[in-house]
Amino acid sequence: MSTAMALNTATETKVVQARNVSKVFQRDAFQVKALDDVSLEIATAEFLALMGPSGSGKTTLLNMIAAIDRPSSGELLVLGQNVFRLSDGQSARWRNQHIGYVFQTFNLIPVLTAFENVELPLLLTKLSARERRDHVMTALKLVGLEERVHHLPKQLSGGQEQRVAIARAIVSDPTVLLADEPTGDLDGRSATEILEILKRLNQDYHKTIVMVTHDPHAASYAHLTRHLEKGMLLPA
Amino acid sequence: MTLARFVRKNAFRNKRRSILTLLSISFSLLLLTVMMTIWRAFYMSDGTSESAERLIIRHRVSLGQFLPIAYRERIRSVPGVKNVVNQTWFGGQYKDDKPENFFAQFGTDPNEIFDVQRDFHIPQDQLEAWKKDRAGCVVDAELAKKHGWKIGDRLNIKGTIFPFDLELTIRGMFTAATPTETVYFNNTYVDEGYPKMKGFVGFFGVLADSPESVPQVAKAIDAMFRNSDRPTKSESEKAFNLDWIAMLGNVKGFILSICGAVVFATLLVSANTMAMSIRERTREVALLKTLGFTRATVLALFMGEAVSLAALGGLVGALAGSVLVYGMARSPQMGLFLTGVTINAPTMLVAVLVAATVGVVSSIVPAFNASRGNIVEGLRHIG
Repeated sequence: MSTAMALNTATETKVVQARNVSKVFQRDAFQVKALDDVSLEIATAEFLALMGPSGSGKTTLLNMIAAIDRPSSGELLVLGQNVFRLSDGQSARWRNQHIGYVFQTFNLIPVLTAFENVELPLLLTKLSARERRDHVMTALKLVGLEERVHHLPKQLSGGQEQRVAIARAIVSDPTVLLADEPTGDLDGRSATEILEILKRLNQDYHKTIVMVTHDPHAASYAHLTRHLEKGMLLPA
Repeated sequence: MTLARFVRKNAFRNKRRSILTLLSISFSLLLLTVMMTIWRAFYMSDGTSESAERLIIRHRVSLGQFLPIAYRERIRSVPGVKNVVNQTWFGGQYKDDKPENFFAQFGTDPNEIFDVQRDFHIPQDQLEAWKKDRAGCVVDAELAKKHGWKIGDRLNIKGTIFPFDLELTIRGMFTAATPTETVYFNNTYVDEGYPKMKGFVGFFGVLADSPESVPQVAKAIDAMFRNSDRPTKSESEKAFNLDWIAMLGNVKGFILSICGAVVFATLLVSANTMAMSIRERTREVALLKTLGFTRATVLALFMGEAVSLAALGGLVGALAGSVLVYGMARSPQMGLFLTGVTINAPTMLVAVLVAATVGVVSSIVPAFNASRGNIVEGLRHIG
């Protein structure tokens, strides 16, 4: 049985299946190995924290799961799909349907209101304006910001901005939620609020969450923590 | 929100820069619109249907050389000629040499001028009154309105080419499809006021029996006087008007070079703005792609921004241009050159399309680069 076939039989329960994934960056004359032979499986509705020092390859792995970066070698299936075989347009559409991404720096569009920022991924769908509105309001209610729909990012606190970013990440009801240091730019109280929301999304809505963090307190919200060091995944 | 609204919000996210860019494009397109209108007025206007049937017969050497009045009946005998009227440019000064007091004065034959200029209209009683008064004149109704003249008013015009003054009485007012800024008086006045001119006229206006016969009539008239001491040059009224314009110099080249410079300047302004705007949003582009926006959508978003901003600038420029042309057409400083000229809808549409094309060309490279950019690099971008 080939590796690919073996991987496919397990896709019903595994959201992410990485086998011997490596990533090498070319920096001028030097080669930098960001990921070194990483093998990892993430089950459906899992909440995984990826920890490790800066430059250990956490974000690179997250980006590969989101299909915005490609491995140099190895195989990576996400939701049973080898997304690196998709064309650029196909992988963009796949990401729109299946992946929610939360960034450390929120990355909200400054000229759009909270509502419009959350609505952004839905503009690529065939939903009607009314359906989009319902989805957006549901997402904003879920993060407790239904009263701030018309606020611009600059009129929100950091914690509120990150909640808008989470609403944007979940508005299309993706299977996988990827969070890259989601509490890195927040104070303790706001960070706890964000982590509680992520925990609720995992527990109540069964979202598979992969969270990159430096913070052991943040990692304590996850079911499982894996450590990366110098591109290598340490044993669980 | 729609993608169109998203484009609009992005186009005006930096209001000061967007407004300055819009004004730059507007000003450039204003110039372009004015130049296109002048071009259309000079070179593309066919005038009235009556104008297409008219010829001007002048001295072959120049307009400064006169023709014998005796030519009139010989011209009338040419097959295809319906009416002939003599006209002489008087070139006098009304009140002073201020541009607002400048208008054309022609000595002519009251009995036939309106048979040749059939697109001019004058009440019959006023025409009859003019015919009876050798010191009478008829004036363009728009010109009369501008100067507040009424029938019966006296009009004193100081001779500058001819060494005598005209003392005319307004006997009638005519209307034309476009204002002519012209006064017609009886040419007998010139004959009597300056005896050296007796028997000579400036040029002849001829009405042919159809537009198709104009070239043959012109050829026949010129052939008739080829071996005389005063040979003629016959041409359509449109060609005659273009000769006047040609006296200004290479107007076509001038207009084309201004249009080219304007489009190029607009292109640079728009390209600079778009390049700056897209570079500032490198991280946002990466975000959009992370959210699932395809390269094509990102390309369309940025090009949409540039096109909408440029087209809006074009529209504002075209509207401002129409106001400017309206003012220029009524400005005494412009003399007779833009009399009656207006900006039409196709000219405005062309201006907006030129602006939109500039938007496309100026944004295609930065937008394409942004759409092809690496997402990971974009997310790391600081600035």
